[in-house]
Amino acid sequence: MNLTSQFESALDDLMTRIRGVLVVVNNKRQGAGAGVLAGDGLVLTNNHVAGDGHALEVTLEDGGPYMAKLVKRNTDADLALLQIAEHGHPAAIFSTREPRPGEMVFAYGHPWGQRNVLTGGVLSAVTTAHTRSGEIPILRSDVQLAPGNSGGPLLNAAGEVLGLNAMIFGGDQSVAIPASIIREFLAEAHKSRPGPTIPGDVM
Amino acid sequence: MSNVLVELSNAMVAAAEKAGASTVLVSARRRMSASGIVYAANLILTADHVVEQEEGITVTLSDGSVLGAKLAGRDPGSDLALLRLERPAGKPAEISGEAKIGQLALALGRPSTGGIEASLGVVSAVGGPVRTPRGMLDRYIRTDTTPYPGFSGGPLVDSEGRVIGLNTSGFGYGAALTIPADLAWSVAAQLEKHGSVQRGYLGIRSQSVEISEPAQKVLKREQAAGLVIIGVEDDSPAETGGLMVGDILVGIEKHPIHDHDELFANLAGEAVGKSIAVEILRGGKPETLNIKVGVRA
Repeated sequence: MNLTSQFESALDDLMTRIRGVLVVVNNKRQGAGAGVLAGDGLVLTNNHVAGDGHALEVTLEDGGPYMAKLVKRNTDADLALLQIAEHGHPAAIFSTREPRPGEMVFAYGHPWGQRNVLTGGVLSAVTTAHTRSGEIPILRSDVQLAPGNSGGPLLNAAGEVLGLNAMIFGGDQSVAIPASIIREFLAEAHKSRPGPTIPGDVM
Repeated sequence: MSNVLVELSNAMVAAAEKAGASTVLVSARRRMSASGIVYAANLILTADHVVEQEEGITVTLSDGSVLGAKLAGRDPGSDLALLRLERPAGKPAEISGEAKIGQLALALGRPSTGGIEASLGVVSAVGGPVRTPRGMLDRYIRTDTTPYPGFSGGPLVDSEGRVIGLNTSGFGYGAALTIPADLAWSVAAQLEKHGSVQRGYLGIRSQSVEISEPAQKVLKREQAAGLVIIGVEDDSPAETGGLMVGDILVGIEKHPIHDHDELFANLAGEAVGKSIAVEILRGGKPETLNIKVGVRA
């Protein structure tokens, strides 16, 4: 098999593995965004996609829409965690490695409402953005993002989630909230809420 | 897990890290900082348009050390400037071969102290010569990489981290261009030696003219246009070399000359001060004159 076919088949594998964890988050008032399954019926998305938290619906790759309840949000990092009654689906793997400029990245989402679109590029910079409560770390990439990518994952070449795409920062630049911030956010959610455990690293 | 995607990704990171070690931050204007490439241990090649001051220039190396630098030379025509560090500290970049259409390329920059930044694309086009706002650029490379703010002066590198060229958005056109490494390096060598790029001078006025098919047969090549000489300045290199009004200039040093842009491109740099072979058609017959190229003031 030549290099380009190996590349295509590796990309195909990546799509196959990640497809099940990407969801559509519908907010009746503000339209649709993307989200990723974080285990035990938890859905991670952008705060601006969750909107006011009412009338949220989540559509999975193989079913839905399901009613979703907002369980936690972080407006500065533009993160929201939703709960649906569907369990037993695979969860995304959040990368524990340091993001490295130049590494290949793939944004998975629903740009302009088109479902399950993968766009590729490289990680451009590990930097910070100003928010109302100070600076937060962000990832910048040269992947083309569009409305509908918000809340979707930025994946590394191994299919791990490096960050959550958030078009709300950085104007026309492609920005993602890094996995380190997401992990903290999920850990806090776990502490403040009894019941199902927060997903581990194993899919 | 390891597959070709992961391997490619790791290779890109390695390329960015390798070339990143020779990519510096250049602070030579009040606004946004820009990037530069380590040309020699004490010399930094950057874009001319980002050097807006001659005093108080600083260069931040990949290890974070900040060094003072002085302007060693500049060539606004090709938008290149050379800075001399207060002491040799840089790790010179390695340069790549000729750019090939479709090859993978990373645009790198160090716009801030936050680390190296990268953007991926392919070489989209190779062209030239092209007129620039302040002169001529012999050859250029166009890519579909993203020209982030502060990337001017930084390198375009291949998958091995070798420099294909120097990126700049200083030519306008609403897009960034890349100056091919061999061209940028040869300009840098002239800047190091003379502080500027010397432009050749012949002392002629000319205009484009069509070359008839019989004349092309005499030339033994397909060349539809040349430059007809309509004026020769007194005591100029052209007059000394025997060039006359009515001659049609068709080539310099075996390069066909179709228009003024090609003439300028072939009179710059190395040609200055040297005796060059100028191919002409005189009375329908080919002749070659040796003319010593002067320096344009």
